[in-house]
Amino acid sequence: MNIQPPNSSSIKSRFAVKFVQAMKRLSKRRGMGDRYKRYRATRAAARVSLAAAVGPERAWSRAVLRRIKKRRGLIGRTTTNPRRNLRGLVPGGKGMDYCSLLSETAHYITCLQAQVQVMQDMLHLSSP
Amino acid sequence: MGSEGSGGRVFQHRGGGGIGGTNSASDKVSGVTMCSESMFYGSNWDPIVSLSQSGNFGNSNIVSQSEFANPVMLENQAMGSSLAQFHSDSGFVDLVPRIPNFGSGSSFSEMVTSFGHNPDSSPNLQKGATQDHCPNSDGGMLGASPYGKRKREVQQGASPKSGEEEQRKDPSGDTSREDDERKQKSEKGVARGKQAKDDRSGVEPSKDDYIHVRAKRGQATNSHSLAERVRRERISERMRLLQELVPGCNKITGKAMMLDEIINYVQSLQQQVEFLSMKLATVNPELNMDIDRLLSKDILHLRGGNTTQLGVPPGLSSSLPFPQYPQGAFSSAPGTGSPFHSLPQQHAWNTELQGLLQMGYDPDPSGSMGRNGSSKMEL
Repeated sequence: MNIQPPNSSSIKSRFAVKFVQAMKRLSKRRGMGDRYKRYRATRAAARVSLAAAVGPERAWSRAVLRRIKKRRGLIGRTTTNPRRNLRGLVPGGKGMDYCSLLSETAHYITCLQAQVQVMQDMLHLSSP
Repeated sequence: MGSEGSGGRVFQHRGGGGIGGTNSASDKVSGVTMCSESMFYGSNWDPIVSLSQSGNFGNSNIVSQSEFANPVMLENQAMGSSLAQFHSDSGFVDLVPRIPNFGSGSSFSEMVTSFGHNPDSSPNLQKGATQDHCPNSDGGMLGASPYGKRKREVQQGASPKSGEEEQRKDPSGDTSREDDERKQKSEKGVARGKQAKDDRSGVEPSKDDYIHVRAKRGQATNSHSLAERVRRERISERMRLLQELVPGCNKITGKAMMLDEIINYVQSLQQQVEFLSMKLATVNPELNMDIDRLLSKDILHLRGGNTTQLGVPPGLSSSLPFPQYPQGAFSSAPGTGSPFHSLPQQHAWNTELQGLLQMGYDPDPSGSMGRNGSSKMEL
């Protein structure tokens, strides 16, 4: 049942590529002045590109991509909304049994760490 | 969980009926039927039960020693020390008349002897010498019934005491889990009565001497506890994995605090992502040269040991409202693992990058909507 832990460097590179491209597209769009909209779009792009970089192997990435396909409130999930419950934090965590929730959490943590690193790198690069 | 419980209950009734029917020495047959039944009822039990059984068959040395399909052996794996605390001793009464299965019930005799000579034979039992006690079966058995009756009274009031004793005698470290299991199963035992639990006579000589006096409680609970035991092991294994991931969790023991810590960490990571995305949203226009530099910087990170990670500019760090998770701690974790990956990956990255940029990448079919979704989401 245990899928192997993710190769974080590959996830980092994939995420970096997708995220940068998404940001490029975002910057080219009209109506994206320096506003709250941009922040929300950036946040959504970050989530989506992470899930896309991970691919459909993991339940949490599948849940994120499913939510996008349904055009539901992907942005509505701000960090403060979910209660102090692991099921609320990990995407797709509500429908899982406990064991797989734990393994999904482990994978999700690794991917989040990779995401944070890449985004920090981007920040450092853009404005050193 | 509710469905699991219902499946288990159904199972137990059938198990009880099945065992009551086959009273003769066809223990193996009944065991096999129990196995098949266990796979049969409760559809959502199947993976767990089959997994647990396969796991037990593969792993335990007791099984390798003696009969494979012996239900008593199954009980051994399953029950472990969890059999020790049964509240109702009616199972033991059932045990006494059912004794004649000496041929197949070497473990059974083992149990009985262990039961009878509890303080003496415990080291032998714990070594797992199941075959050695066969000749003692008669004496053990004969001695068992009065002892059993005595123990019945003892056990009725003394489940915590037996728990302590078990903890004292069983150094395996499963005790906390077994306490939980015990409490659950004792409740179930009381609720369901004797006839459901017939076969839980399993002795586990190698693990515990205690036991399993609760003879022959239904096989249903056998597979139930098997499944639970496997489940608990898996959960603890994953908790250990998570403990390694989350920084600063080495000192914390206990599931509840670990879970709190994990939740805190996930929340902080998500907040960090949000914060960074806010910053990136304002800094955006300079991303054109970022890709190559980003990837090269990743390579540098992987090789160089994340020095830049730790060197967060003071302006940025002071504005970060993050909790105390040290930035270097978790950044070093993926970094240290892949210094040797960096070299072959350079070419992979560059080629992949160029290919993607040219094609307008499509990561995977499920993710193809991702880009459109992200650009349209904010509308």
